Amino acid sequence: MGFTEYVSSNFSSLVFYGQQHFLLVLYSVAAATAIALAAGVLLHTSSVSPPSWSRPVRAGSRETLLLVSSAALTIPSLALFGLLQPALGIGIAPSLVALTIYGVYPVLRNTVAGLSSVDPAVLEAARGMGLGPAWRMVRVQLPLAWPVIVSGIRVATLILIGIAVVAASVSGPGLGQPLFTGLARLGAVNSFNQVLSGTLGCLVVAAIYEIAFFAIQRLTTPRGIRV
Amino acid sequence: MSDGSRPMIALEAISKTYPGQSAPAVRELDLHVPAGAIVMMVGPSGCGKTTTLKMMNRLIEPTSGRILLDGEDVTAVGGDELRRRIGYVIQQVGLFPHFTVADNVAVVPRVLGWDRKRITARVDELLHLVGLEPGQFRDRYPRQLSGGQQQRVGVARGLAADPAVMLMDEPFGAIDPITRDRLQDEFLEIQRQVAKTICFVTHDLTEAVKLGDRIAVFGPGGVVEQYDTPEQVLTHPANDFVAEFVGSGAAVRRLSLLQLNRLELDEVTVDGVGATNGHPTYRADADGRAVAWAHLPGTGAGDLPPLVTVPLTGTVYDAVDVMLEARAPLVAVVDDEDRPKGALRWEALVRELPTKGRP
Ligand SMILES: Nc1ncnc2c1ncn2[C@@H]1O[C@H](COP(=O)(O)OP(=O)(O)OP(=O)(O)O)[C@@H](O)[C@H]1O
Ligand SMILES: [Mg+2]
Repeated sequence: MGFTEYVSSNFSSLVFYGQQHFLLVLYSVAAATAIALAAGVLLHTSSVSPPSWSRPVRAGSRETLLLVSSAALTIPSLALFGLLQPALGIGIAPSLVALTIYGVYPVLRNTVAGLSSVDPAVLEAARGMGLGPAWRMVRVQLPLAWPVIVSGIRVATLILIGIAVVAASVSGPGLGQPLFTGLARLGAVNSFNQVLSGTLGCLVVAAIYEIAFFAIQRLTTPRGIRV
Repeated sequence: MSDGSRPMIALEAISKTYPGQSAPAVRELDLHVPAGAIVMMVGPSGCGKTTTLKMMNRLIEPTSGRILLDGEDVTAVGGDELRRRIGYVIQQVGLFPHFTVADNVAVVPRVLGWDRKRITARVDELLHLVGLEPGQFRDRYPRQLSGGQQQRVGVARGLAADPAVMLMDEPFGAIDPITRDRLQDEFLEIQRQVAKTICFVTHDLTEAVKLGDRIAVFGPGGVVEQYDTPEQVLTHPANDFVAEFVGSGAAVRRLSLLQLNRLELDEVTVDGVGATNGHPTYRADADGRAVAWAHLPGTGAGDLPPLVTVPLTGTVYDAVDVMLEARAPLVAVVDDEDRPKGALRWEALVRELPTKGRP
């Protein structure tokens, strides 16, 4: 069977795997973004404790978190899915958790970079006008850091689209299913078509995300700082 | 205070020692800023001007001492709430790049919960005041403005909630001399209309002399070496430090302090109305405006210099400028309608300039 023939006869199941893949990445990126944003924001400014001793504590925890999340990226994906298996079993749960772990670093790094790149003069002016830390974070720092944060989320998404394939190793959802099936029986009928369709499926999912991010970046970047 | 009125801002024995430093940046400082006055803070770099200014709105917490704002001890009140009552303008301006000009100006009124109509009206009023046509500039973003225009928006933003006190840290520091000069003139004009109490940090003694009602000269170690009127600082420096800081240019700077309407000018007469009595004589047009010199004592009819004029509201500095420019040994001092009220001769400058009381 030729590839086009294979795709057309298996179209609905490929679309199904593609959708699963898309959603798996979406949920993991969302979770990773939530974690990284919360951590990045909380560790950047905090009015909870006196600034004199909270600053080193905050900077320390931020660096530690960056270190840990970047170290997590170096764990081979197959190994991480395997390591989570005893605790979380197989299927969606370990897949989501593993992908979320991989997604934290790019978002956190860009959140930290974006927040600290805000012009200090702007912040001093805000402070000098009597605007509190929450106002400054929500109205000034986050909007100004936002383009950088979005590009971090985008990088995380692209990384996760590739890694999500490995979810199939713990019976997780997504395009890994046809791909792994094909790999396991390479040489057999349609095995190459399965691998190829899984791979191309990932590219299609990536293309959809790229288009989405292009739109998001344009729509959510404040007009005054659009280049 | 010499005038007996209550100071708007009073620093009492205020000190600041930054953490981890042995010497204080500001030491036991007393400074009283009268209501409605512009106090200029000058001094060499690192002598605590910015630190002092920022203690006034508690951006920097003093190590010891008291701050009184209009008689109220604000050393311990909530910092943010205090800062909303005080305008603050810095050299780097720090406009919010993602806000329009109008939104930048409206920040504090919004936080204070003003209603929409009042805010819009206030924004337009302030943009007018700082010389930016609201229709043209209201919806622009900071990056679409020149440096000088951004600085004006910064001033408008500082004035937004109509604070009684403005703190300005080298607001015109990063601006070219010509624009700065214009901004200074506008600043004085604005101050005539709004009559705020202003503390103004500058590195530029000329700016301090031009804008200040009083000058506080800071010395090393965060102490005030002299706190007095510009005239006094220039003519009677309190000590060697101030004398050196004021420098060799003091005599020239003094010229810019002396207004022409305070001088005893040489009499001038209009040509064709009888004897000249040895006064300079000018030819006038139908409206009484001076056109040219007709006769100058001691000058032949062929050597008459061009007739140049300077307004009565100008300073001796302006008169010198005009004379040098035109290479004329004298200048006619004219009133609003361009009618000569007298003349200032070059030779008179190097003698004691005869002054009379304030007009
Ligand atoms: N945040 C800080 N931590 C430690 N030391 C500081 C801090 N800010 C200022 N200083 C020190 O305090 C002193 C006074 O600084 P300040 O900024 O008030 O000077 P300044 O008169 O405004 O100087 P300039 O004219 O250069 O602006 C300086 O010696 C400076 O090094
Ligand atoms: Mg300074």
